[in-house]
Amino acid sequence: MDRRAFLQTSAAAAAASALPWRDALASTEWRTFETITRVEVLKPRGVSRAWVPLPMTDDTDWQKTVGSTWTGNAARARVASDGKYGATMVFAEWRDGEAAPVIEVTSRFMTRDRAVDLGKPVPNAEKLSPADRAFYLAPTEFIPTDGIVRKTALEITKGASSDVEKARAIYEWVVDNTFRDPKTRGCGWGDIKAMLESGNLGGKCGDLNAMFVGLARSVSVPARDVYGLRVARSEHGYASLGVGSPNVTRAQHCRAEFFAAGYGWVPVDPADVRKVVLEEPPGKLAVNDPRVEAARKRLFGSWEMNYLAYNMGHDVKLPNSSGPKLPYLMYINAETGGEMRDQLDPDSLMYSITSREVKA
Amino acid sequence: MRPFVVLAALAFAAAAGAAELKAWTGGATPPLVLQDLHGRTHRLADYRGKVVLVNFWATWCEPCRDEMPSIERLRQSLAGTPFEVLAVNIGEPLGRIERFLEKMPLGFPVLLDRDSSAAKAWKARVVPATFLVGPDGRIRYVHYGELDWSSEPVRKRVAELLE
Repeated sequence: MDRRAFLQTSAAAAAASALPWRDALASTEWRTFETITRVEVLKPRGVSRAWVPLPMTDDTDWQKTVGSTWTGNAARARVASDGKYGATMVFAEWRDGEAAPVIEVTSRFMTRDRAVDLGKPVPNAEKLSPADRAFYLAPTEFIPTDGIVRKTALEITKGASSDVEKARAIYEWVVDNTFRDPKTRGCGWGDIKAMLESGNLGGKCGDLNAMFVGLARSVSVPARDVYGLRVARSEHGYASLGVGSPNVTRAQHCRAEFFAAGYGWVPVDPADVRKVVLEEPPGKLAVNDPRVEAARKRLFGSWEMNYLAYNMGHDVKLPNSSGPKLPYLMYINAETGGEMRDQLDPDSLMYSITSREVKA
Repeated sequence: MRPFVVLAALAFAAAAGAAELKAWTGGATPPLVLQDLHGRTHRLADYRGKVVLVNFWATWCEPCRDEMPSIERLRQSLAGTPFEVLAVNIGEPLGRIERFLEKMPLGFPVLLDRDSSAAKAWKARVVPATFLVGPDGRIRYVHYGELDWSSEPVRKRVAELLE
């Protein structure tokens, strides 16, 4: 290639990469990642315990677990499950007198970008059994599907007939009516009834995507939240939709899916559209900014898998814990002397998560 | 499909050296048919009549690396008896495994579970995961996590299986 042709090719490539989220998939290749989660229980008093979420157990065509291992000084440690959703975690316990409880969990997993073409039903698409359909339509403790939730959803989906049409109407409503509130602690706990009753529709992914899930379930569209962690930068050119360093301690993120006959589970993420609006540099973008419009188009039907999915659990009771149910399991939890530590404050509990891509 | 709760069998993986082998209660022995680094196919069924230690491991797993020498010591101490070790590497490229073995030569076959299907069948999502298979081909004991495989309690269990 001569210099002129090279420059032309390079310029074209640069221009293409500058266009936001041009193709649904950044890549069809599997990528392997490793996360290392280190937990130290500071100032232990009596018996200490910790719960560290693990990658999703079931393999999908967008995430596969390779394996996990751990080191540390726990008196005992084991893989545990919430028992209902299959949310898996390492449970570690230290005896009274252990001065510096520590555990380090290493997980390897593979991911591949994911997109569903909603114009083309798939002949062998996954089907939902009646039991699973009921499971993913049921209310949770924090996501009711009656009262104001159902009333709102019925108004939103007026005139929509198929599950895809209903989900699309709800997605657009969430994008248009909610906002990302940077003051929300963590990712928000998803108390959607209180949000609708108060009219305060600000929050983060735990709120906004729970809103999508609750509204969808209330009008008989199976839906679920997916709780996980961003592990790499976005290849679509969005600084706000990826992580900029190997330190991903505060990169927890939840997404959502709905089920549509003929397509199976469909990925969505209205909360990330609102994140682009608020955080994509220089910040506070207009809703009609091309970067917002591109993300809005793509986040109904596709996910970039610079992301680790932990689980899809709600109302999680941590095994061997005397603490209350959690709305979801996405953070590191620990207790010492029978008292839960603040899972949203990595510094007080002392945990860190690093991520790296593993090249062959 | 709803997330499947598969890990109930993954019991304790306690601190190194403190744990004991746990009697296997996980049902039938899954098949194991894999190639080694030289392309030779190993079938667990072909080892019938021998006690086989099946170890699922990865180079990135620190406890796996740490316990490997003790497995080699156990194997060497049982030379001449019907005892074999099959070390199943989970999903890593050949080059990485070979570089690891240059630093830590092992006297037993390393098998390649390229797509992790064997690890999934054996429910070895946490590594190291090690199974002791009796001469009749049935899994007798399991241990998740690091263990000193040359320790006296382990030798005793293996000796019982060899009787």
